[in-house]
Amino acid sequence: MTKQTSQPIGRGSATERDPNTAEKFKFWIRPGQMVNPFDIVAAEHFPAEGGSEASYTFGLVTNIQHITDAAGHLANFISNDFGEEVDEAPQTPRQGANVAEAAVLSNSADIYMPVQNESRVYFADEDKIHLSLGIDGIPQERRVPAGLIQMSNGTQAVAYLDRHFVLGPEAGHVNISGISGLATKTSYAMFLIQSLLQTGPKHEIAVILLNVKYDDLLRIHEARELSEEERKQWKQLDLKPDPWPSDRVHYLLPWGKNTQVTGRPNSFADPPPPYKAYAYALRETASKLDLLFSDIPDPGGTLSSVIGEIMTGIGGNETAWRAVQTWDDLLTKPPLVQQGIPQKFHNIHPSSVGRFLRLLRRVVKTRQSGVFVPQLSTRMTTIEREIGNIQGGHTYVVDIARLSPEEQTLVFGDVLRTVYGLYSGEALPFDDYEPPSKVIIFVDELNKYAPARGHGEPSPILEQVLDIAERGRSFGMILFSAQQFLSAVHERVTGNSATRVLGRTDSAEINAGNYRFLDQDIRNHLTRLDKGELILSHPIYRQPVKIRFPRPPFQQGRVQK
Amino acid sequence: MPNPFQPLQSALRTLVENAQVLPATGQAVVDMVTPDLEEIYDQRTTGEATVQTVWETDARLLYRSIQPIPRSEEHGFRYFIDGSARTYFIGTVLEQDRSTPVQVSQVGAAMVKREDDGRIRVTSNRRTILLTLEKSQVSDPLWQDLEQALTGVPGYTLCDSATNNRYADAMDLQESRPRGAHRANWHMRELEIELAQSLPRANDEWLVVDGSLGNEFETWRGAPLVGVAKIFRRDSRFEFGTGPRARKINLFGLLKDLQENQRTIVFPRNNEGRIVFWYVRIRPQKGLDYPLMGVIKVEMPNPDREPVDSQLVDRISGWLIAERRVTPYGRDGRWHAHLYPIYIAEQVIRSQFYSEEVLKLGIRWPFQIST
Repeated sequence: MTKQTSQPIGRGSATERDPNTAEKFKFWIRPGQMVNPFDIVAAEHFPAEGGSEASYTFGLVTNIQHITDAAGHLANFISNDFGEEVDEAPQTPRQGANVAEAAVLSNSADIYMPVQNESRVYFADEDKIHLSLGIDGIPQERRVPAGLIQMSNGTQAVAYLDRHFVLGPEAGHVNISGISGLATKTSYAMFLIQSLLQTGPKHEIAVILLNVKYDDLLRIHEARELSEEERKQWKQLDLKPDPWPSDRVHYLLPWGKNTQVTGRPNSFADPPPPYKAYAYALRETASKLDLLFSDIPDPGGTLSSVIGEIMTGIGGNETAWRAVQTWDDLLTKPPLVQQGIPQKFHNIHPSSVGRFLRLLRRVVKTRQSGVFVPQLSTRMTTIEREIGNIQGGHTYVVDIARLSPEEQTLVFGDVLRTVYGLYSGEALPFDDYEPPSKVIIFVDELNKYAPARGHGEPSPILEQVLDIAERGRSFGMILFSAQQFLSAVHERVTGNSATRVLGRTDSAEINAGNYRFLDQDIRNHLTRLDKGELILSHPIYRQPVKIRFPRPPFQQGRVQK
Repeated sequence: MPNPFQPLQSALRTLVENAQVLPATGQAVVDMVTPDLEEIYDQRTTGEATVQTVWETDARLLYRSIQPIPRSEEHGFRYFIDGSARTYFIGTVLEQDRSTPVQVSQVGAAMVKREDDGRIRVTSNRRTILLTLEKSQVSDPLWQDLEQALTGVPGYTLCDSATNNRYADAMDLQESRPRGAHRANWHMRELEIELAQSLPRANDEWLVVDGSLGNEFETWRGAPLVGVAKIFRRDSRFEFGTGPRARKINLFGLLKDLQENQRTIVFPRNNEGRIVFWYVRIRPQKGLDYPLMGVIKVEMPNPDREPVDSQLVDRISGWLIAERRVTPYGRDGRWHAHLYPIYIAEQVIRSQFYSEEVLKLGIRWPFQIST
């Protein structure tokens, strides 16, 4: 352990009523010294057994108090001539001190005795920051830069994640929370993905991004001019500030009502990037029909019975269903309808069939954006076809920004189901296709698809997301998800995310139970985070840390049409 | 942490081995000094209660209005001294038909300096642990053995409660235990005086000593200082002039008309003027419970016995009124007359004292357990 060469910033302080413990310690701060929450400090401690040099206990500053010897506020009031004096400085300033509270991260010699009273406390340097967080134990080839830790004294250190705890096998998934409008969540997800791609084997990972807002992710192959400061940050992280290589990005944009005539997809991107247009015809969609009704309550299970019959009938090409080729056929022809009247089908009552038809008509006819087509033309593709052929080292952007909520659910579910099928399905003996060893799927507004318990009905899409969250890691499927409120997402999804990232959060939200993994003081700090600042919790780290990350090197559309 | 009272063990063993010891029940017990010690000492040592003359150059007014002078304008008071003493009874020693209480005292004094920006720093402090017995109640060989046991032990002093004990003498205290407690307080005062004398100061760097100035300051010719007493004798009477215009008032009468930001005229102590004193009201009566609250008694050495310069007294009083900001309200019952830097000096000392728990557990009579 290198000896601390910088000036001490204070000394350990333990009192009768406020003792230091193995978990926390306090230290007073030298006058004039600036310390902030999330600074990492090193307190001198006992030498290791048999050694002579001091060990260091590292702590993350969680709060700072200013204390004085005033017995109460009244003492301060009286001290200012019973409140009459508000301008002049006091003859003798009241004795006070700034006292910082630090959560113990680790000790350089594995000594977890409490920090002793009067121990000298220093700012940790870069090596000690890594040591304190456990980063020193991550093998070099598994280190993934995840942002910069910046301390009050100007010291900076790269916060590395362990690749095995992001992409498996040890742990996986990343979840990002924070209020919208700060362009932080998506930017950070993209930054982290770029970091993973740049620091790992090039062809190992395929990435699927769902573009849910405007054209945010539809220009990731176009470079953006970076400021000198931004370039410096990328350099500090030892990453290249390059946009996505255009030959390795594939945009899948939805077919729209006017695409046939105008040739333009139903997308906010104007002009659109090089793309393929995807659409849903009945025959190609039958196996995913359940996804269309994810938000519809079905307590008696009648809706799923109808859907089940159709999926089996069309999927198995049963005689009764052979004439049903298009969505219109399904809505107007036998076996479900005859002369405009819903029919009893197998054991399903006509009224249940009628309800199904009403709901389906609303989704695929009345409110549809154009993605539901009678037949697929040669200019169209399907999500299943494209995602079913993903290649390692390539990125697939699926645009769902202009779709209706039901259509968005269908597309997202289709992506998940297709990817899941790639890994869990049986390979054909003559098919030499090898799926990439890892697939990252990034989706914002996860709460739509996996709402917290009590916020929505159990649904096929939720089942799909839970499957990925709980079992996907073992196949190599990694979910990068984001949402405004952590409390709005199903706890089995967030609970399975080993790496959690928090941006600025509403003060009412931070008191939800989902934030209990954070110390109360750190929780309060969430309301004060700036743009570009995040709290990062990772299984390797003993405490969450505050990081900054550089702005993306690619264009972020964000033009509201 | 090693036992801080370990050096005392050898002395305690000497007592156990050479005399009979009755340990205090429940280990060490705090012995208090008389609550109004300062007032009584002031009464007993400052001579005549009746003041018959005044002692300043401009003696036209009984009360003079004073403007507070903040340190940003003139920084007069730079140094402040206070002390503290805490005494514990730990047992009784029996030798033949004689007995004496055995007491351990933590005694200290600190001097702090206020910088121009108002920050306080400690310039020096003294701290001693006293082992106090009444020497006349033990045999000479035993006393010599005790002296021997504490010889060369830094910070520890063997003390006789019967001698050099002016507080107890002033109060005619006869009982050994109260005398022991007052002996520690007198030692504290000695440490304060030692501090006041030890640090060289410039002539514009005034020192404030906590409490009344003892007669030892009558010949003080060092750098300037004043004593500021929060508690003072109340039997003072003031008789001015003779004949039909003569005026006689007691202390209460004098102070009830003393308004905020006013001082009284300067009086000589004992009608001799080697030490002069006056009163300053540093806080308005309206916020206090009693007319004597918020008033301090200021004492100043005047070895030449000349009438003191009224303008100097005005300045000193102005500095003192400015000291009312800030106050240890809520921490000390005497807050209304307490000067905050003095309070800090007191805290410096007390923070260095071992807690009662440490003392109780650290001081053990080394009895042999019989088998």
